[in-house]
Order: sequence, then C-alpha cells, then structure tokens
Amino acid sequence: MTVTDVNVDELVASFPDKVKKNRKRHIVKKNESAGSCPQIEANTRTVPGIITQRGCCYAGCKGVVVGPIKDMISITHGPIGCAYYSWGTRRNKARADDRTPPEQIYSTMCFSTDMQESDIVFGGEKKLAKMIDEVVEIFHPRAINVCSTCPIGLIGDDLGAVAKAAEEKHGIPVIPYNCEGYKGVSQSAGHHIANNQIMEHIIGTGTEELDGKYIVNLLGEYNIGGDGWVIEQLLEEIGYKVNSILTGDSAYVNIRNLHKVHLNLVQCHRSINYIAEMMETKYGTPWLKINFIGIEATIESLRDIAQCFGDEELIARTELVIERELAAVTPELERYRKICRGKTAFSFVGGSRSHHYQYLLRDLGMEVVVAGYEFAHRDDYEGREVIPTIKSDADTKNIPELHLEPDPEMYREPNLHLNMSKEKYDELVASGRLGYYKGMYPDMIDGGIMIDDANHYETEELIEIFKPDLIFTGIKDKYVSHKMGVPSKQMHSYDYSGPYTCFRGAVTFARDIANALSTPAWKMITPPWEQSETKRT
Amino acid sequence: MTDCTVTTRVRQVNENQCHMCMPLGGVVALRGVEHSIALVHGSQGCSTYMRLANVEHFNEPIDIASSSLNEKQTIFGGEANLRKALDNVIRVYQPKVIGIMTSCLAETMGDDIERFIETYKNDREIREIDIIPVSTPSYNGTHTEGFWATTRAVVAYYARPTERHPGINVIVPNISPADIREIKRILDLMGLEYTLLPDYSLTLDRPFGGRYQKIAPGGTSTAGIARMAGAQATIQFGLTCPEPLSPGLFLEQQFGVPLINLPLPIGLDSMDLFVRTLHDLSRRPVPESLVLERGWLCDGMADAHKINAGARPAIYGEPELIYALAKLCMENGSIPAVIASGTQNSGLVGLLQPLLKDALEEPVILEEADFVTIEEAAVRKGANLAIGHSGGRYLTERQGIPGVRVGYPIHDRIGGQRILSVGYTGTLAFLDRFTNTLLEAKHGSYRRLRKEEMLNKKGVSNAKA
Ligand code: SF4
Ligand code: SF4
Repeated sequence: MTVTDVNVDELVASFPDKVKKNRKRHIVKKNESAGSCPQIEANTRTVPGIITQRGCCYAGCKGVVVGPIKDMISITHGPIGCAYYSWGTRRNKARADDRTPPEQIYSTMCFSTDMQESDIVFGGEKKLAKMIDEVVEIFHPRAINVCSTCPIGLIGDDLGAVAKAAEEKHGIPVIPYNCEGYKGVSQSAGHHIANNQIMEHIIGTGTEELDGKYIVNLLGEYNIGGDGWVIEQLLEEIGYKVNSILTGDSAYVNIRNLHKVHLNLVQCHRSINYIAEMMETKYGTPWLKINFIGIEATIESLRDIAQCFGDEELIARTELVIERELAAVTPELERYRKICRGKTAFSFVGGSRSHHYQYLLRDLGMEVVVAGYEFAHRDDYEGREVIPTIKSDADTKNIPELHLEPDPEMYREPNLHLNMSKEKYDELVASGRLGYYKGMYPDMIDGGIMIDDANHYETEELIEIFKPDLIFTGIKDKYVSHKMGVPSKQMHSYDYSGPYTCFRGAVTFARDIANALSTPAWKMITPPWEQSETKRT
Repeated sequence: MTDCTVTTRVRQVNENQCHMCMPLGGVVALRGVEHSIALVHGSQGCSTYMRLANVEHFNEPIDIASSSLNEKQTIFGGEANLRKALDNVIRVYQPKVIGIMTSCLAETMGDDIERFIETYKNDREIREIDIIPVSTPSYNGTHTEGFWATTRAVVAYYARPTERHPGINVIVPNISPADIREIKRILDLMGLEYTLLPDYSLTLDRPFGGRYQKIAPGGTSTAGIARMAGAQATIQFGLTCPEPLSPGLFLEQQFGVPLINLPLPIGLDSMDLFVRTLHDLSRRPVPESLVLERGWLCDGMADAHKINAGARPAIYGEPELIYALAKLCMENGSIPAVIASGTQNSGLVGLLQPLLKDALEEPVILEEADFVTIEEAAVRKGANLAIGHSGGRYLTERQGIPGVRVGYPIHDRIGGQRILSVGYTGTLAFLDRFTNTLLEAKHGSYRRLRKEEMLNKKGVSNAKA
C-alpha cells in the first residue's frame, strides 16, 4: 500500500464510537496541496483502558528533567514503586569535572521515602523531614529536590513547608516539586512544573562571572548515551563556551549561572521551552531552536548559531569544522546508505525526537511514513504560531504559570546579549530563526501520517497496514514490532548504543540501523519446510 | 552455633532499593491465567512504568491497561474512569479474564472496587468475562506480596467444591518462564496429572511463529483452576509466603486439599525433596532419565567444589529465591557473606537460621534492605560474588564484585525470561555460571595480584626487601 491510500477510519474501526471520534482528532494525514497543517488534537487526556505509551507527571518532572542534575539529590516522596521505576532508566550520562567531584554525583542513585501504611494514614511530612536530615548528614549535597507522587497529593502533605523548614535547618536549597502523577495528562505537565521550579529557585542565583566571548546554554539535551558531550565538544571547538547543558550531565552550580549566557540553544522544544521563554522575559536571553540529530540538521544548526553572533571569524571556523567533519564521515556513511536507501520507518518517541530523527533518516535515504509524539502539544506538530489559539482546559489550568517581569537589575535587551543592532536582531527573528519552532508537519512526507498519543492497538494496526522496514520507538512496543517481524530501534535509551548526535554520532546511528536492517535472522524465521510448501503452491 | 546478624531497616532513607511495588508482581502472576489482561486502577504512570519494568525483563510485549485517573477523580472517585477503561479493554482485547490491581492512589482514595465491578457487570449484563479485583497497595507490600495476593485471589475466584481427583496442584512463586517449563517437564516425567498456577511460561516468553495475537496464547485454564479444589494435594514453592496471602493454605482451609510447602527445587537437597514428594504422590518409580540428571549434577558439584569453597556470595532478591540459593550455596561449601531481601515479614530469618548454624563464617542477614546497606555489608564481609537481579550492578560497578544474574527484574542483561535455575539440570546450569564467574574474576586479576604480592612497585622482589 502506498502512503496516500491509507484510510484513517480503518485504523480506529475497532474502538467504541466515542473513542473512535476522539482518536480521529489525534490523527492527521499530510496533504501537501492543502498547504498549512490541519489542526491535530494533542495534550489532552488519554481515554482510560486504551493502552497508552504515556507516563505520568512525576515521570516528566523527576524522571526527565530534574533527575539528571548530577550534584543534587532527588528524593521521591511516596511509596516505593514510583521511585524504583524512574531509577536509571534513561541512560543520562554524567561525569565528574573540575566543579563537581565524583563523590558529589548522585544522579545514578535512587532515594525514596518508601511510604508505609501508617505514613499514608498519619501523613508523611515527618518521615520526609527525617529523610532530608539523613541525606544531608550522609552525603552533604549542594542542594536537594523533593518530588511527590500521587498518594502524597491526596493525603495532603505540605511539601513546600517541609522543604522550607529543611532549607532553614541545613542552609542548602531544598526545592519542592508538586508533581503528583495524576496532574495534567502526561509527562508534559511534569516538564512544566520542573521548569517553573528550576526557574524560580535556581536560575539567577549564581553570581560568578563566566569566561568566554560566546557563551551558550544547551537546553533540552539529556545526554542519553553521551549525546550532549558530542555537541558540547563540537561547539567548543568552534569557539563557543557551553555554560551548562539542561539537564543531561548538568550541575546545580552551573544551572545557577544559566542567566549569564549570550544565547540559549534549544534541542528538545517540548520539555524545556518554558525555561527558554521565561529567561527571555526575565533576562532578555534570546533562544534558538537547533537540532543536532542528522548531518544536514547539524550543519544548519551550526550555521544558524554563527549567524546569531555574526562574527566573521566564527563563521569561517564553523565552515572549516563542517568541512573537516563531513570529509571524515562521508565515506563510511556512504556504505550504510546503500543498505538504508528507500526503506521506510515509523517514529514514535517522546515530544521532539520523532521530528529530529526524520532529518537523520533522510540523510540515510529513508522516509518516515508515520510519526507521532507521546506527550507533545499542538505547537510541536503545527508550529509555535498556533500557541495563542490553543484552548486551555481543566488539565492545563492545573499547572501554575509563572508570570514573570523583566528583572530590574539583570534584564538586558536580547540584541545586546548578541552584541548586535536592534534591526539586525529583528531581521533574525523575522526570518523565523530566533524564538521559533516550526513543528513536525512541514517535514512530513506527502501522505504521511501524524498520530498523537498512539496506543498499543493502533501501533499494531499501523504496522500491519504499512509494513515498515524499521520502527523507532520506546521499549514498551519494541517487542510487539519484533513479534510482527519488524526490527525496532529503542529511541529512549538507544539499545545501549549512541551517542547519535552531530557528525560522528550519525555514523554510529547509521551503522546500528544498517545492522538492524540487514541481520540475516529476520529472513530465517519461516522454517525451510514451510518455505518450500509455499513455493510449491 | 553462630548467631547471624540480622538487621531490619531502621533508617528513613531508602537508597537504591531492592524491591518494587505490589501491583507489578500481580501483573506477572495474572499473565499466568489464560486469556487474561491486567488493568491497574490508578493514574496511568503506574501502568506505564510497570509495562516498562516487565518488558525490560521478559523482552516481550506487555499490555497493562490503566483507568487513567486524573486530578478530578481524586476528589470524586474513580468509578466512571474504571468503567470506561473496562469498556475499552473488553472491546479492543476481548479478554476472558480481567484482573484489576489497585495502585496506591486508588487505595488511598478508598475506591470500593468490588462494588464498582458488581454494578458494572449488572449494567452491562456481562456474564462471560470474569473480573477479579486484587487489592495491592504498595505501601503495604512489595511485588513479592503482590504476586502471592493475585495468585490467591485467582484461586479464590474460581475454586469451587469439586469431586476429588488424583491430580495435584503446583503453585509457583515469581520464577522465570524457563523455570516453569522445567518444573512442568519434571512433573510430566513423573507421570502426574497437575494444574500449575500461574503458568506464564508461554505468555511471557512467546516463541516466534504464527500470527501475532493481542493476548498471548497460553496460561493456566480457568477450568483447571476450578478443579484445584478437588486435587490430591498442593505443592507450593512458598516457604516464605505470608499465610494470609497463601493460595495453597486457602485451598487447604476451604477445600481440605493438603498443602505441602516446599523450597524452590534449586540445589540437590531441595530438588531431591521435590522428587521424593512427587514419588510419594504418584507412587511411581523415579524415571532413569531423572536419575541420570541427578548424577550429572552430583558429578558437577564434586568437580567444582574446591573452587566453590572460595566463594563468599552476597545473595539478594525475593525471599523464596534467596532462601533456595542460600541452601544451594551451603551445600556447595560457598558460605554466603550476605543474604538480603527487600521484603519484610517473610519469615526468612527463621528459615535461614538452622541452615546456617554450622557455618564456619557468619553471614549477615538483612531484611527490608536497600543496596546501600547490602553494599556496606558485602564489603565488610568480603563478598566476592553478587547473586541476584540487576540491582546488584552497583556492587559490581562500585565495588568490583562480579555478578551472576538470577531472579527478577533483569534489565541490564538479555534473556531474563530464559534464566534456568530449577531442577537438577537447571541447578547445574546455575552452578556452572556461578563457578565460571568466580574463575573469570580469578583469571582476570590473578597475575596482577600475584605480582603485587611478590614484587614491589619498582619491580624488585619483596622477598629481598
Ligand atoms: S503509586 Fe504505588 S502502584 Fe503506582 S508506581 Fe507508585 S508504588 Fe507502584
Ligand atoms: S503513582 Fe502517580 S506518580 Fe507514581 S508512577 Fe503512578 S502515576 Fe506516576
């Protein structure tokens, strides 16, 4: 079947009518000739009983955003399971450096108050306070995060009060996150809550002066398998100074100085755009959406960054590095392209990767025919211009919005951050580079399907319909596709591979993909005696 | 007699824990019932996390539905969502059995699941689908208790007074699908008719072939479970199973089926006990092939005993498994350095004491342990092997103690579902992994250690200095 023949109705035919209606609003087929993106429903509640791939608010807050901050201890306040499940599942790499010695790295450990029945009945505040005391006494961390899980919200423990008292007692920041899993509709709510608290409690508290002519933060990069390190190295080679990645291999001591940079680079738009935006409001820091997944994407991103600073030397060095890296990777990449060319793929990951990896696959000559996010919002599909038209509902209203004003002392006009004229800056904004994200739709192929919050059942149906050569997904549906004879690549932890970013990462990725596509095992599944029978008939 | 040091947790901190949450174990057990699907009543995060944990261990698709509770339901109750969830699960998956496990949230809200189900079934006029509620508040127990509670709930749901029959019941704890298959093979060899529960040997380890089905074929049939009430006896590998959760005890008390609680058949003695019990029940001779297998195990034990005598394993995980492993280690002269479980009240200490009373060295026994406590004890006691699930990777990474993976969950190695440790053959397979890991560590560092011992840093012999 070619992509254009697919009928969306068939896909959801088995659902009860109400569910069918609901799900159809989450599925959009790209129609090139129609021009702009039709509205897709996103960031709304999952229908109960439909087996979703989504996680919870706590997973987004602790698991994704705050957990990887390496020099903070993140305590999960709740029963044991929630903490267990968010322990080391994301392969965020962290290492010691000149500011953070190895004994101050806690991101690989798991801390839980392990609530028992009596705590549920009588409240867990005392237990939490005691746990903070012990953690301070044993580890002496620089700062502590406390994340709550579902039952906590219900029994009404006052996280803020416990954190405040502990902060006074121990003289270190203790930051509360009311990220009970039932808030919002997915991980996304947790990203937002984490962004808010980091913005309120950490960013802007640093007073050091940073060295460097061109200083950037790399926001929304989680250093899975070392992705962030590759980007950092490339940027530093060109002449930038990376103050902090957020939050892969990040440290509290660096996040405090986030406001001291010239430019924020945004890799994962979904999880971190709040901080990018809030920093622009409060400090005037401009932000640029970049993507270091894919060769072409990396080149474009590097050029965009150089343009933001407009320094001729920087631009020249950027080109030099691009040329050198391209020369280094092209011959090997060509080998893998031969295997990958013309193959099709699905991409169902998170809230940004499903878009990012389309670039890398295109570099390899592959097409993504179906793509979707687990927990994205409409702007991640349709572009940021739709934000003013997104209706807020009861679930979004539950997440507090911070209303920030420009900081009277630290705010500087965005163009001054970049050391350029107002006109030049406005030009960059108008060209759609600064402060903008176009979403996934423009990069989908004609007839391709965008599907939001795809569930277990739909994934199976889609595989049957499209018979793709490869599926990019999380581990939860990895084995479904294997059972259906389609190789899959786990894009949350990379199946213990990576890094996949920038030039050399693309080669590693291409090698992994070529291996998956060409493993002889897939062709040997049908036993020879059955093969000959089918041949005979 | 050496007094074992027994420690239960006194600290508030649980760092790097050794146990997981209650519905997780329930989900595994339910997979052992034919045509079933699990639904966790709570926010969707719990289900997603449990799918993740199980998928990583079994390397299989795992469907766990959720009632996806949101903020509103925390105030108004979760009935409407649960009904919607049931509607959709039934429509899309067409299960014959639905097990509803509760998350901590639902338990804290105090939802009356039994009543919800009753009204739902009446309203929808559902007769063909069995909906079984299991209360699984994780602040009350770990995945181990969740597994037992669910198995018991399933038995209690189906078992009815039945005519006596010569078949037996076999109830297994959370072991690997490969272990279940081995136990079934032994039962077949002994010529017994049996109902094994929960039998997830096919559902959680699905072979390739045939069209992919949304609910995996396999599992104990509900008709079989109903017949358990009339069996000649129940063999339950549940020495550490708390009485109120014991499926075997339920059958004994309600239907008079005698309960024979045995240790998991890992190790020569435990396996002999199992075979002797089967022999008594079937009144048939032990087949020659099994005798051969026993012989190979004995031979292997004899060949490796010198090496194994140098082992000081730290054993950790679910109580039933670690008891069996401790016993196996003792009979091979490997005195455990640490024996640790994340659960409490399993009676493990009382079971271990007679086993360890003549040990030359004194092991540390930990209950409600986390990995910080285990690590500390392992280092203090000079452990040189870490036996258990993936949590032990910290013992390897931080302390250089080599690991042998067994138990649940295993997510840093492939094939958790295929690890075989029961029976004579399985024991030998385990023992070989055990011995070879010791040897590998020894060969890996032998030269360096000897060199350090004989020569000083400058390469001059220590003997001269
Ligand atoms: S709330 Fe309870 S059931 Fe859910 S993940 Fe946490 S511990 Fe497990
Ligand atoms: S209880 Fe809540 S916070 Fe914990 S895993 Fe479940 S949904 Fe997430």
